[in-house]
Amino acid sequence: MSDNNGQINSSNALELLLEEASLKGTYRMKRYPGKKFFGYFCSYFPEELIIAAGFEPLRLLPDSENSTPAELPGYCCSLAKGTLDMEIRKQYYDLIGIGFTHTCDTMQCLSGVWSACGQTKTVDIVPPVMLNAPGAFSYYLAETKNLMMTLSSLTQTAIKESSILEAIKLCAHTRSLVTEIDNLRSILPSPLVFSILRAGQLMPRVEYVKALEECLPDLKEMSSKNLHQVKILVSSAVLESDSLFAMIEELGGRVVADDTCTGYRHYSGNTVWGSVNPLTDIVQRYSEMPPCPCKNRSLNERIHHLTTLAKHRNAQGAIIIIRKFCEPHAWDAVSLAESLREKGIRTLTLELEGASVGGQERTRLQAFLEGLLESPDL
Amino acid sequence: MNEVREKQSNYRPLSSKKALQKTMGRYYALTNYHRYWGKIFRRPLAWVTSGAPVELLRAFNIHSAYPEQYAAIYSARNATVALCEVSEAAGYSQDLCSYARSNIGGVLRPDLAPLGGMPKPNLLVACNNICGTVLKWYEVLARHFKVPLLVLDTPFLPHEFTAQAKAYVLEQLISMANDLEKITGCPFDEKKLAAEMKRSREITSLWIETRQYCQNSPSPLNAPDLFINMAPIVVLRGSKAGIEYYRKLRDEVKQRAALAQGAIEDERIRLVWDNIAIWPQLFSFYKMFSEKGACFITDTYSGGWAVEHAPGTPMESLAATYTEIFLNRSPKYRANQLIKLIEDYKANGFVMHSNRSCKPYSLVQEVIRKEVMRETGVPGLMIEADMADPRAYAEEPVRNRVQAFLETFL
Ligand code: SF4
Ligand code: SF4
Repeated sequence: MSDNNGQINSSNALELLLEEASLKGTYRMKRYPGKKFFGYFCSYFPEELIIAAGFEPLRLLPDSENSTPAELPGYCCSLAKGTLDMEIRKQYYDLIGIGFTHTCDTMQCLSGVWSACGQTKTVDIVPPVMLNAPGAFSYYLAETKNLMMTLSSLTQTAIKESSILEAIKLCAHTRSLVTEIDNLRSILPSPLVFSILRAGQLMPRVEYVKALEECLPDLKEMSSKNLHQVKILVSSAVLESDSLFAMIEELGGRVVADDTCTGYRHYSGNTVWGSVNPLTDIVQRYSEMPPCPCKNRSLNERIHHLTTLAKHRNAQGAIIIIRKFCEPHAWDAVSLAESLREKGIRTLTLELEGASVGGQERTRLQAFLEGLLESPDL
Repeated sequence: MNEVREKQSNYRPLSSKKALQKTMGRYYALTNYHRYWGKIFRRPLAWVTSGAPVELLRAFNIHSAYPEQYAAIYSARNATVALCEVSEAAGYSQDLCSYARSNIGGVLRPDLAPLGGMPKPNLLVACNNICGTVLKWYEVLARHFKVPLLVLDTPFLPHEFTAQAKAYVLEQLISMANDLEKITGCPFDEKKLAAEMKRSREITSLWIETRQYCQNSPSPLNAPDLFINMAPIVVLRGSKAGIEYYRKLRDEVKQRAALAQGAIEDERIRLVWDNIAIWPQLFSFYKMFSEKGACFITDTYSGGWAVEHAPGTPMESLAATYTEIFLNRSPKYRANQLIKLIEDYKANGFVMHSNRSCKPYSLVQEVIRKEVMRETGVPGLMIEADMADPRAYAEEPVRNRVQAFLETFL
């Protein structure tokens, strides 16, 4: 990537991003020997503080969707089972720690199970569920302050205010670059965008930003618009591979709006800075970002956000993914599908064991997309 | 829950059973006819989660109904499958909590629900101290009924109850009281709340005392007794009717203990139960144990209501009591709780119901099981089932596992 030729730089950068997305952090020690990684599960874990503490945030993704660690029952989502199995197989021994955010019942339990049977240090933050409840902000701020202290104790050095400010700016810059890419969705292949976004949760942040900056101009030129593609919104929890996005694209669809935990929802919302206490800015960002099904800002905010997003991006169809045994997404799927249909957006709900789609899903996706392609409204 | 017929042969029935039926019968009649008297007496009907701060609602003269309680009745009356199928057809995944699914089924098809389903609520009150499911479930109900949804967000406690969590819960309770003033038109009266809490404390002490007699050998009560008799403390907490009932029950159990009358004949093995009851198999399941002389002398589920109120002003006490419940705490805390029960009740083993419906209760059980076995040296069995949906119950494998487990005590 030190090549002076911009073209090569750009393609190398894109290659790096795609490689990181598919490696899912597995070769981190070889590729980035000087870096210390800190694992986390959920987008509500403030990555700004991980970076400010001098670590690289690494989103933990399972390497298999069929793991069955003895410590968890079968009726638990494959994200929890798969990652716990990796911990037991000592795949995370190099991590400085692992951050758990209280989001769903499964995550809440996983944190306790992990600290009982794993070796890696666990760190918890329990944000409010009712983000607009009276007292929620001060409570969240106090939790964030505690988290900062815990992270400091991992390095035995206090996190400096200037480091937090720098981290906030770095995250803001990342989010604005990603937003630029998100805005190019209609002209870029869906799995490509999804990979690029996932890479940002798996590799050192500065390297990610550099690679994004390098390939962004070319991505803007790389139009692959096909007027006959069906515009789709995808909503899901964590998706650790591009399998679904690739199949949608292959069957004539294009993902124009992405509400997945590992996709654009991770980066969406505003970054704020400038307050006397930078932790206030962090809390404000996480309190105001478009909520996932585990959080409530008001009864229908999430549904309203997604129907508006679908309309804004001219989505003709929506695909809602329920990861098997994932309760929060399964709950929202019903009201969300109903509201999208009311707005004239046809909706397909698919249940997946993990992130990969197979023959059965192909048949359903094909029928769904063909139906939309043949629809007179198109 | 008192609807379940007793099918056990070596079962010693409680004579307070009649009083229980009367107390609960009156409550259900009152609840189901709410539409006739609610407006007249200006007493709105709230659907509330089992862990909601009901004393505050009572201070506003609100009548509470419990979807979880009704769901247990649906299950005992074999209506769960039909009701779950209704909600599954409406799009709700079969992997969601069966209380929630059968409740929603009953909302969509009251004609299929025992007792004609639940009467329509004027408001909904959820507290997420038991699980995150209740929030999602009550959101669905709020959209359906278009009535106010009040939520008390009690942060999960990985360790102790922090000062920030205390302040947060307290602030929400104060705001909930303001909302209830607006909804009911009644001013908040702290004295009334204090009186409700006093009655609630009294009922809790009676329940604690009753349970403590089971430390005797033989135990005067077995798990089905505990499950059936917990109904009033859930729905009539803070009421005079509830207090009267638990006095009767306490007296009977005390007498049984004094006379060394066991709940089952020839108690040989003393076990602790963990998780919600298996309602559809209430008697047949526990009979597998009682016929081998195994008695469940205590449990963590109905024991969830046997916890002294926290100190402080009425609001502070509510905040702590409802946030510190065991389901809102770490596996470490829960393991210690089980270890203490095993020691206090001189148990020889424990059985965990790995309950597909209830993730917060169940996902941590295996690590708890290992720790409790390590610390106490007693064996622990894990059984997979569901509290309400009989489709998740595989009779043969369960029977084999239970038999093998009981043989370890020979
Ligand atoms: S939100 Fe769903 S996928 Fe994510 S950890 Fe919870 S249950 Fe698993
Ligand atoms: S059974 Fe479990 S998941 Fe269902 S409402 Fe009760 S605590 Fe929540």
